[in-house]
Formats: sequence, structure tokens, C-alpha cells
Amino acid sequence: MSEAKPKIILRTEGLPDQRSIKTYVDKAEGYTAVRKVLGGLSREQVIEEVKQSGLRGRGGAGFLTGLKWSFVPKDMPGPKYLICNNDESEPGTFKDRYICAVNPHQVIEGMIIAAYAIGANKGYIYTRWEFQEEIGYLETAIKEAYEAGFLGKNLLGSGFDFELDHYSGAGAYICGEETGLISSLEGKKGQPKVKPPFPAVSGYLGRPTIVNNTETLANVPWIINHGPKAFRQWGTEKSPGTKVFSISGALNKPGVYEVPLGYPFASLLNDEGGGMQAGRSLKALIPGGASAPVLTPTECEGLTMDYEAMAQRGTMLGSGAVIIIDDRQSIAELLKVTIEFFAHESCGQCTPCREGTGWLNNIMDGILDRSAKPDNIERLRTVSRNMGGKTICALSDACAMPVMAFVQKFSDELHAYLAAGSGSHRQ
Amino acid sequence: MSVFSESLQAKIQSFLTRYETRRSAILPVLHAIQDEHGWVSEPQIEELHHTYGLDRVHVKEVISFYDIYKDHPVRKYQIRYCKNLTCHMLGAREAICRIKEHITALDAQLGEDGPFSLEEFPCLGKCDGAPVMLVNKERVEYATVDRVDEILAKYAPLPKL
Repeated sequence: MSEAKPKIILRTEGLPDQRSIKTYVDKAEGYTAVRKVLGGLSREQVIEEVKQSGLRGRGGAGFLTGLKWSFVPKDMPGPKYLICNNDESEPGTFKDRYICAVNPHQVIEGMIIAAYAIGANKGYIYTRWEFQEEIGYLETAIKEAYEAGFLGKNLLGSGFDFELDHYSGAGAYICGEETGLISSLEGKKGQPKVKPPFPAVSGYLGRPTIVNNTETLANVPWIINHGPKAFRQWGTEKSPGTKVFSISGALNKPGVYEVPLGYPFASLLNDEGGGMQAGRSLKALIPGGASAPVLTPTECEGLTMDYEAMAQRGTMLGSGAVIIIDDRQSIAELLKVTIEFFAHESCGQCTPCREGTGWLNNIMDGILDRSAKPDNIERLRTVSRNMGGKTICALSDACAMPVMAFVQKFSDELHAYLAAGSGSHRQ
Repeated sequence: MSVFSESLQAKIQSFLTRYETRRSAILPVLHAIQDEHGWVSEPQIEELHHTYGLDRVHVKEVISFYDIYKDHPVRKYQIRYCKNLTCHMLGAREAICRIKEHITALDAQLGEDGPFSLEEFPCLGKCDGAPVMLVNKERVEYATVDRVDEILAKYAPLPKL
């Protein structure tokens, strides 16, 4: 009964005026889910539908969306907030950018429903500054939704108010962490906050706040329209639905593709991605953005694209950023790029992260210019082991995990790289 | 006498009441200032403090924390070149070297009036167009070393290297 490649998110892709409200309404059931919800579903019913669907957060952590919504205290008086985390900054990830370019109204409709479910009357879409074009698309879409009466006061005569605004970041990866984002939205440095309390209880300005990823929110209208059972016809038991993957590297058709969760990696690479460029072969795979531990070609055999299969192999699906490493690449260089990124993006609050990423960067410089001793390769792992689970947010772990995997799986190459310059060793 | 143009004053004023707190206006206000001036100066920060009630400490910590804000004069065209994984694999380093050569040559002639600055940037989120860069707010995809000269020449005349 199910299509092999359903579109839940990218429903307007390729249609004329794909991101206009008219196309969304005419061709993609646009704003019918909002009508259904405001026409008579209770908040509890909406949360229950999303819970039953098994929808997991698409920003990286994979937390159950309905469960997250249910943490918002129901009877607490005063304002509550909904934030769309559109600060997509994980290296290799560009699917939320594409969703905004193709189908921004579905994100907005998802926000209206989520806001209703948690009792929020104000929402923000927080987008990274670098997405200038897409910020323009979002601002246009918000304006269109206001004009059509889907945003503002007393929506569709239901008595429910929802105001939505856009907020632009300023170039800081850490603002993709939900409490870092909240700090930024409060006009501060984007430094994460200690949890608990979790944002659902005390978030933006100390008020109950839900932060959901762009793609996560875009799933919601479809679930409301078609029900949890229909949603679960795709994907796996624990990872239902589709996933929008961004795949990049030396392949023929890098880009953004929506496929069911549990889709074979080989098909994603060879069918959607068009296969490796001529003369290049797969050397390694980063399956979920720069913070996901690398996989070898052997580990990619039989690999499926879902949360469980990745966890079994000691890595993660993350945000769905599939980075293809081809045989011409130097692992030493890629390791340096990875470490340097996290060292740059560490917000500086926690010592293990601030100092750890800095040490790794210094050690890696020595390896790269071949002045380091061979035991410095193992030292990368020793330092990394002391960075995990010791900090306010997961950035420290996000650096440590890929470093440990690169060193463990490509130890021979790293040692060979160093040895190739043995004449210049510092003794 | 304000250091801001009339239109910028109106923009700043509108941001102050747009969010739940005045402090949330800091990022949008700084973006608006940079859109007009390219960077944020000390007199501007003082005016934000005295006239608009945005604490100078709060403003300065935001400027220092985020990559996009600059507290020094900037060139006419700010190049932000992505050097992260995919861009690195598809030729970022070679292209960055070429851009640096051009900037060195231009600056030798023009000094601080040279048209370009280069920032090697953490990631631009357009890996399917790698290697990618921003010139001010404009995204330039497939900015490989063999295309760098042609791309830069669209913005300013280049001396022969």
C-alpha cells in the first residue's frame, strides 16, 4: 500500500512557486491540519497523536517529540514559548535550509499545531545568519500566513492566538544547542544553560519553552492529517517516518533527499546520490554530521539509515548529514578540520571542552606538520576520553567522539603519515 | 546629533519593542548597524547605551562572542570561505590560497583600501555546492581554485599575479 519513496516533508518540491502559500494550500493539503486541530481537537489529543506516531526529533538527538511536548506544565499561568531551531550548523548538514527553500509553510503549520498543543501564544524561528536567502523565504512565508489568517489573534475563530516572528543568529554553532539558542534569543552570548531545569519547564526568559528542529515540526501537519498509523507505515519500529538526508562529498548528485528511515545506505549513495564520482571509491563514511563517529567501508555493508542501526555500529544518525569520504582524502587533514571546528565553536564555559578542544588542536598541529612523536596519536584519544560527559552541553562529546573513532579506525594511516616525515621528527 | 542615519534610528527603535525584553533586540540591532556600516564602532555602542538603553557591556559581549559581528572597519567585500569537511575535500584549501594571493597583491597596491578581506569560516551549510563561500551576503557555490579569479573579478579589478 505504501509508496516506496513517500514525501512527507518535501511535498511541494519542484512544483511551480513551490514555497508559496498558494502551492502549499492547493497541492499539499496546506493548513488543513490546522483547521482540523483548531476545529475540535484538544491539546491532549494532539500530543497523543504525535506520541503515537513515534516521531523523533530530527535535529540530532532523536528524542521523542510528543514526550517532549508533554513535559510542559499544563496549568502554569503566564506565557509559554515555541521555538523552531533552524540554526542548522552541524558540518555536512543542509536539509533544514532546503526545507525552508522548498516548503516553509509546512514548518509554520507545524509550529501552529505544536504551539496549540503546548499552550504557547508566541513562537520564534531562529535561523543561522549564513542562510540569508532562506531567511528571506521564511519572512515572506510568515507574512503570507499572517495575511491568510493562519497567524495572529483568534485563529480561525477558535480563540487561540499565535504570533510568530523570525530571529537571526550571528554565526555560532553552539546556538543550535537548545539552551544556547535560548540564551541567544535573550540577546546574550549563546552559552548553554545547566539542565535541569529543562526548557519545557524553564526556558526562554525562565518560561516554559519547547525547542523543536525545523524538520521535526514539518512532520506534524502530515501526522495530524493522516494519523500515527499511516506515519508508521514507513521507517522502523523505533524510527518511524521519513528522514530528509543531506549527502555531500565526491559523488555525482550531492543534495537533499527524503527517504524512509531504515533506507539502505547503498541506495542513498548510489541511487539518490548518483554514486561516487568516476575514479573515486568510498574510503569512509560520516553518517550524521561532523560529530558522528566515522565508519569504514566494511561497517557500511548492509547499513541502513536509522537511529538503531547507527547506534549498533557505535555512531549516530545525528541530523542526517551524510558525508562521503573518498579515497583521495587524508584522514590526518580531515581530523584536523574536525578538531579545529569544535575548538573554534567551543563557547568557553566548561574547562574540559574549552581546554580539551584546544589541546587536541595543538596536538593535531604537531601531527599535521609531522613534528609530533608517534605517541601523540594515542594522546588524542586520552585527551578525548577526558572530555566526554563532563560539561554543560554535548559539544565536548561531539568533538571527542569523532576524534576517538578516527584515531581508532585509521591508526595505521595516521602513523604512516607521521612516519613519512620521520626525517624532521623532534626528538 | 545621532551617529545613526534616520532610517537606522527608526529600525533600532522598532527592534527595542519587538521582543519580550529590550535585551533581545541586541542581535537584530547589531545586524542592522552592520548592514549599513559593515561593523560596529565605539561611538555607536555608546549611543546604544545612552540613548537606547542597551547596556554597553551586554552589547560588547555579544559582539565578541559571535563571528558575524566586527568591532573594526571591514573591507568592501568580506569573503567568508568555508573550510569544513566537504568543502575541504572538494578543494577549499587550494581556492583559499589563491584568494590570499590576490588579496596580498591588491593590498600591496591599495593598502587598507584593498577591496577584499578573507575569513576562513567554520561552515556555511551549503555542502551540496561545495566548495562554497559568501561574499558579503551573497552565496557563491563551486568556488574552486580554477574559478576564483573569475569570481573575484566580478567584484573588483584584479592585478595580474
